[in-house]
Amino acid sequence: MASTGARARRPGSNRFLPPDPRVEGPYRFTPQLALRIGILGAVALVAFGILFFRLWALQVLSGPQYLQAALDNQVRSVRLEAQRGEILDRNGFPLVATVPGTAVQLWPSDLPKTYSAEVVEVRSLSQVLKVPMGQIWAGIKERKNDPVTPFVVRESVSRDAPILYLIEHAEQFPGVQVVNTYLRSYPQGTLAAQLLGYVSEVSPAQLKQLQRKGYQPGDKIGQGGLEATYDSYLRGRPGLAQLRVDSLGRPRSQLVVKRDPGPGESIRTTIDVKLQRVAQQSILYGIDLAQKNHHWAANAGAIVAMNPNDGSVLAMASYPSYNPAVYTGRVTTRRLAGYGLTPSTAEAHSYPSLNRAISGLYPAGSTFKPVTALAALQTHLISPSTVLECTGSYTVYKSDGTVAQVFHNVDPGVFEAMTLPTAIGASCDTWFYQVGYDFYKAPPSMGHPLQAWAARFGIGHKTGLDVGPENAGLLPTPEWRHRAFTAKTDPQNWQVDRLWKPGDSIQLAIGQKDLLVTPLQMARFYALIANGGKLVKPHMVQDVQEGDRVVHRFTAPAPISVGLDPTNLAVVQDGLYQATHASYGTSQRVFGNYPVAIAGKTGTAQKIISMPGYTGEQDQSWWCGYGPYNSTEPPSLVVCALIENGGFGADAAAPAALKVFQQFFKEQGNTGG
Amino acid sequence: MIEAVDTRAKGLRPVRADRIEIAAFVRRLDWVLLAAVGALLGYGLWAISGITEHDIAGNPNYYVVRQGVYAAVGLLGLVLAVAIDPDYYRRFKRVIYGGTFSVMLLVLLAGTVSRHSKRWLDLGFFRFQPSEFGKLLFVLFLAGFLADRAKRLGESSVVLQAIGFAAGPILLVFVQPDVGTAMVYAVALAGVLFVAGTRWTHLAALASGALVLILAVLWLLPSAGVHVLKPYQQARLTHFTNPSSDPSASTYNVRESINAVGAGRFRGRGVAGATQTNYHFLPEHATDFAFASLAEERGFVGVSILLLLYLLVVWRGLKIVSVARDAFSAIAAGGIVVGFLFQIFVNVGMSIGIAPVTGIPLPFVSVGGSAMIANLLAIGVLEAIHARGVVGRHRRRLG
Repeated sequence: MASTGARARRPGSNRFLPPDPRVEGPYRFTPQLALRIGILGAVALVAFGILFFRLWALQVLSGPQYLQAALDNQVRSVRLEAQRGEILDRNGFPLVATVPGTAVQLWPSDLPKTYSAEVVEVRSLSQVLKVPMGQIWAGIKERKNDPVTPFVVRESVSRDAPILYLIEHAEQFPGVQVVNTYLRSYPQGTLAAQLLGYVSEVSPAQLKQLQRKGYQPGDKIGQGGLEATYDSYLRGRPGLAQLRVDSLGRPRSQLVVKRDPGPGESIRTTIDVKLQRVAQQSILYGIDLAQKNHHWAANAGAIVAMNPNDGSVLAMASYPSYNPAVYTGRVTTRRLAGYGLTPSTAEAHSYPSLNRAISGLYPAGSTFKPVTALAALQTHLISPSTVLECTGSYTVYKSDGTVAQVFHNVDPGVFEAMTLPTAIGASCDTWFYQVGYDFYKAPPSMGHPLQAWAARFGIGHKTGLDVGPENAGLLPTPEWRHRAFTAKTDPQNWQVDRLWKPGDSIQLAIGQKDLLVTPLQMARFYALIANGGKLVKPHMVQDVQEGDRVVHRFTAPAPISVGLDPTNLAVVQDGLYQATHASYGTSQRVFGNYPVAIAGKTGTAQKIISMPGYTGEQDQSWWCGYGPYNSTEPPSLVVCALIENGGFGADAAAPAALKVFQQFFKEQGNTGG
Repeated sequence: MIEAVDTRAKGLRPVRADRIEIAAFVRRLDWVLLAAVGALLGYGLWAISGITEHDIAGNPNYYVVRQGVYAAVGLLGLVLAVAIDPDYYRRFKRVIYGGTFSVMLLVLLAGTVSRHSKRWLDLGFFRFQPSEFGKLLFVLFLAGFLADRAKRLGESSVVLQAIGFAAGPILLVFVQPDVGTAMVYAVALAGVLFVAGTRWTHLAALASGALVLILAVLWLLPSAGVHVLKPYQQARLTHFTNPSSDPSASTYNVRESINAVGAGRFRGRGVAGATQTNYHFLPEHATDFAFASLAEERGFVGVSILLLLYLLVVWRGLKIVSVARDAFSAIAAGGIVVGFLFQIFVNVGMSIGIAPVTGIPLPFVSVGGSAMIANLLAIGVLEAIHARGVVGRHRRRLG
């Protein structure tokens, strides 16, 4: 071939093709071409010069900076979950514990790249773990913008068969990782569920608020109750580990721990686990009694037991309850719905997540009478020796002498002159109607003394308990009435309804009509009666412990005296003792024979309730009181019990409260001797 | 007897003469260029072996073996190209043009789509990218066309005709879409016209025309609602001027590429330490971004060696333009060298953020059979021109 080429240039030799006539004359290397070649050479030199300069700048001058960028590229920080602290009762008995568990995580970035293979993997993962496919897809979708952060497909306490299967067939499940985790365990089951709250992954909305405090996606956070309030102690400090990953987030090295996780601290509550258990059982006992008394609608209740001297809550029960363990592991809506923990199912299950002791609102009924009595005594509307008629009914007349309204006593046949202690003991409504009317007629210069005193006793505002969510309740005042009833809220009758009428004062005097309180507010008020007129701040946690060492002690603020005349207080205390011990006392048959002297007041409050398939007025059964009464020591326990729709206070709430006293004094060794 | 002797002498002489001619021809090759290309081949294979070592688990030599096979095929092609008298290309320029055009049309009709682009013909054993071979054939055709009209090059009609013929292949490549290769074609056209001796005024007019066209495609037409380029193409072409303006997709490649180049520093991070490459932060590191990967693994030293070898090739190529025996050879050599220079500059420039991101492979380094073979064929054509060039003739005359 080469010879062919050489021959082709020989003049006269046999060319493969005839010469092209268009090629005219011999070719000459012109100065023009030389110039152009020179220009091309210069262009080449300039081009290469640019490249060299740029490379020098990048690699030599700024090299370290780009090296750092490259290193940052591949190191991924991983948060190591800290062991969450425990929640203990007052004696160190665990209410919530942390146990090691196993989590199955999925790293969306490591799923197969083809859709069909991804579907196959998700389907088999769903079958192995018995987790619905939709849930896994939802998790993958959630991490769409952050595919290198894993999500938890399932958590469980033990490495059970499905997990062992996953470990054995790991190559069939790219992106699935079995890791150790910590799980909440609830050794006491449903005990104090609403108080404890639960733990779950931080929600996007929470994250927005809490990112400043170091919370990150995937972190667990206390939701509600003690878990939420004391999350900063309980959560501990997450550790930090690093691993090298490629651009798809696939790990390329072992985890290197940079900072060990700091386990969370335990909080020791003021709850007494035994008393709490009895309190919960007592509600059921009260409900049972109520239903035996044909109060079919009785289905819920709350009991608060508190130290009246410092406000530490010993027991706070709310029924119905639930087992917080339903929030452990992968929580599904269906699972929650089965326990009435979703908005749509809550009503059918009587709102199990509601902490009735602090969020439940009820008219106080007769348990409010001591408030009226103390307010009337302090404002000198009555004196300790005042005697008023207790009648079957009480009629308010208009200025022209016609009957405006008739208010009935519970016992219509009574006609008796009574002193204050007797009126409290017998719970005479008409006696207090008269006091209520006196309040109505009080000169404007006095303001609204009944409401003012009630507010000083803590009615109508939150107690400030360290566990939420708390309701403030409603202490009706003429101003509130004027504000609340407008053409908008009450188009039919607002011009009349917005006026404060005699009936408002009269009904308020016996804790009815618009008044709404929580059981804890009432317990706090009875603690004030028990401790000599000081308002305590209810609280639930005594200290924070690291191991067995107390690292932080919470001191409740000293109870504040509300400025009651001790004589006045003594009269009311006497009245409460009459109620439990005098022959006419409303709960005499419950407490009369109990060896420890208990003083307390029943309440039967009418409330319009709405249940599935029923709306009507039902009696809320109340009892609030304290003991021991007139002992050498100050009273050591105040109990407030409420049975929803339980009828007379003496029939349901009082026996339930007695159970709590029995447990408490049995533990104390005080059987009234 | 005599006749017998005569016959023997007659029979022997041409053989000896042929041997002498072959030896003389081989001596007339540009051995500096061959050495430079040989060094580039070896260096490129070594670079690819490091760049792709972690790409296919369990088979670290997958790409380098393939590249080696392509290089061997390409070297055979080079020998063949050296043997063919370049004048045949001029004579058969119409066949070349027609063939190139039809194959490109075939690609458009029956090509294999990969990464949103239709550039390949699947031959079963080999995925063949006609546009790579087209670069060389395109230059040969244009060189032949212009050489045949050497006396009339001053006429604008000749220049316009050349542009008209060039427009066909350029458009066919552009719609694949392969903006980068279309740019190489356009620049090769400019190089061919430049070396052929087109008037300066015509060249200036062409330059302004090109500028207007670029502005129109990138700016005027889009603002008028006509989108010649797809958004990602537009972004790649424009965002390199300001990479921080768009932290996401279109400049991700460039950012990671610059990180890789910079992280290589003076000496390089070695194959094992090249995290940008090994962990796939650097996309397409075996093909489009092979330079960045090389820069990460071998540092400034490593890329300097490569660039100097390229410079050597360019220098020898320009020298071949000057020794070409006829206008066709000179123009063809010029077109080849300009195309080669442009590819190097744009590929390296895109890796270091000073040129738009286009899928132009790095000659003799990027993984890809078509480009490797086509580049070696082009070197073969340059050698063929050199061996038949003026210096060769002088030497023969002197010898």
